[in-house]
Amino acid sequence: MNRVGLQYLAGDLSGGNARCIAMLQAFQEAIRDYSTPPEKTLTRDLTSKIGGFVSFLIECRPLSMSMGNAIRFLKSRIARLPLTLSESEAKTTLCSDIDRFINEKIVLADKVILRHAATKIRDGDVLLTYGSSCVVEMILLYAHELGKQFRVVVVDSHPMLEGQKLLRRLVVKGLSCTYTQLNAISYVMHKVTRVFLGASSIFSNGTVYSTVGTASVAMVAHAFRVPVLVCCEAYKFHERVQLDSICFNELGDPDAISKVPGRVDVNYLDNLTDKQKENLELLNLKYDATPSDYISVIVTDYGMIPPTSVPVIVRGYRKEYLLI
Amino acid sequence: MPDTQALVNDFLNKLKKRKIEGSQATAKQTAELLRSVISQTRMPYTNQASALIHSVKAVGERLIAANPVELAVGNVVRRVLHIIREEDLSLTTAAMAGLNLSAESDDEDDTDRDNHPALSAAAIAAASRSTLRPPSLQTLLEDVPDSAAVPHTSSSGGDSEGKSKSADKSSRSRKLKHDVIEAVNELIQDISTCRELIAEQAVEHIHQNEVILTLGSSRTVLEFLCAAKEKKRSFRVFVAEGAPRYQGHLLAKELVTRGLQTTLITDSAVFAMISRVNMVIVGAHAVMANGGVIAPVGLNMVALAAQKHAVPFVVLAGSHKLCPLYPHHPEVLLNELRSPSELLDFGEFSDCLDFGSGIGAPLLHVVNPTFDYVPPKLVSLFITDTGGHNPSYMYRLIADYYSADDLVLERRTASGN
Repeated sequence: MNRVGLQYLAGDLSGGNARCIAMLQAFQEAIRDYSTPPEKTLTRDLTSKIGGFVSFLIECRPLSMSMGNAIRFLKSRIARLPLTLSESEAKTTLCSDIDRFINEKIVLADKVILRHAATKIRDGDVLLTYGSSCVVEMILLYAHELGKQFRVVVVDSHPMLEGQKLLRRLVVKGLSCTYTQLNAISYVMHKVTRVFLGASSIFSNGTVYSTVGTASVAMVAHAFRVPVLVCCEAYKFHERVQLDSICFNELGDPDAISKVPGRVDVNYLDNLTDKQKENLELLNLKYDATPSDYISVIVTDYGMIPPTSVPVIVRGYRKEYLLI
Repeated sequence: MPDTQALVNDFLNKLKKRKIEGSQATAKQTAELLRSVISQTRMPYTNQASALIHSVKAVGERLIAANPVELAVGNVVRRVLHIIREEDLSLTTAAMAGLNLSAESDDEDDTDRDNHPALSAAAIAAASRSTLRPPSLQTLLEDVPDSAAVPHTSSSGGDSEGKSKSADKSSRSRKLKHDVIEAVNELIQDISTCRELIAEQAVEHIHQNEVILTLGSSRTVLEFLCAAKEKKRSFRVFVAEGAPRYQGHLLAKELVTRGLQTTLITDSAVFAMISRVNMVIVGAHAVMANGGVIAPVGLNMVALAAQKHAVPFVVLAGSHKLCPLYPHHPEVLLNELRSPSELLDFGEFSDCLDFGSGIGAPLLHVVNPTFDYVPPKLVSLFITDTGGHNPSYMYRLIADYYSADDLVLERRTASGN
């Protein structure tokens, strides 16, 4: 658990799916090592222990929506454990539940998404993607394996510069790529035929909550009449609604803005006087909310749905929790 | 002339190597160079204006070719040509008014001014021919340069007339050059003071407790905001950093030094923050005749976000940035691509550059444009040194500053009929 927390803190582990899987696997370990203290029931004690772990993780880095949903799933499973089970049986049930969750909701869901999304890629396409989403990367590599001829435009932004890692992985596999930064999006959008974006979560009013800058990409694509496809597993959907990006967001390290890696000539903000520091605020937002009118279709493991159908899945999905 | 040639070559070099930063500096230096060219031009007895125009055009074409993306150069060249034409016209009308008083009645050529016997017909004919008129269909088809026609007429004048006319013309030629140089000095003065005139209007637009958003760095915007601060308006500024040059960092540093509350945000956060912003104020590289703006890269994205959230998008531009050309495919033709090393470190990505497909073409392209085109419908207001204008009005300002003949500067090649 400590290791996972430190990984979040250091930023080694990023991306909704990766963080969620790491967290669940850490929970599995914790459950295996757990033993009920005397005079306490398994369910209550385990739930409070899990709560303790979650607070530790939140201190390292605020939870992503996917992690929040996974924790709710786990707590509901713990609460539903029949009281007749022995401790070891309960532990194995829980661990297998977690395995099933990871398998069904993430791994298999991704495979279904790949299949759906690949049908939307034709020969001669120019696909644009922003930042580094694991699902979009999988889609591009899968389509490339299927033999489709297309080009990829990777758009990146400071300070995370995640696109560079994606770029490297794509070029190694032989995809023809163009790399640019977010400001140049109006310049490249003329040639783009489809935009593929990942999401951290999708809210019930169809708003896509994703890496900061996604909203700008979707907006410019919409202005140039380029279809925007958001690829997101259904377990990330949430019943919240949100209209703008300010009400609920995560703040990153402000100093990351003033530093530009590898470019000594632009370090203008070193050596500020106190008076200057007093008036200057550095704001590093991590997420933003893309309005649903910019999204053409959401590709999920339940199929390809319009943004307006998200609350339908959220409602049906909650029932599924109970049926498992 | 050799002196000017050296100056011209030196300036051409600077333009080609992109050594001059900013359109104001470029415009000023272009105007000063053209002033030297004008003062060095040898003036013939007749048709001085054509000679001036010819020499300015010759230099101007070369300057524009050195840096076609820096539109301020072409703007200043066309302004100077317009000045020459205007000064010539005003001198001619003054001269013609003066001729009304002198009553010489030698009728050499039969012109169509028989009903004014008091005027010297030859003088009038010569004056009206030497005035530069807008191209008529006849002149366009004949392609006859103006200077060929006139000496013939003046030589047919009588002696006494000839003497008075030549005395007239030499004083006129000195006067023309003098007037033109004075007007060019005024132009240089205007270019230098445009930021102050724009900044004076700041108080009308920025109110108390407003939130302003800007991207990158523009000296005009800096002075505009500081002028509002001087008038005791307190407001916040969000500065988007403007990757990959990160000039927003510079602007933020300047603003906090002058005591303004500033927040530095990333470009990706512009859409997120713009809902809390009252106004977007940006500078421009050039303003085209349709009201479209050639602006630093990223501003089209900001303009679209501003339109979505109904936030006014205000562009500050000095009048030397107003270009009389209409933009055609501006993202490509009026853009410059900078070095990819600003985006990717060559050393880090050298392994990626090795992967090639069978034909040996590289798999990795890096695109780093300098400018963005913002269409006129996204701009709410232009603030220039002459006041605030709608984008739909900008084409009218062109008539004030430029002549229709100068829009195409390339000389017509002699057509063999």
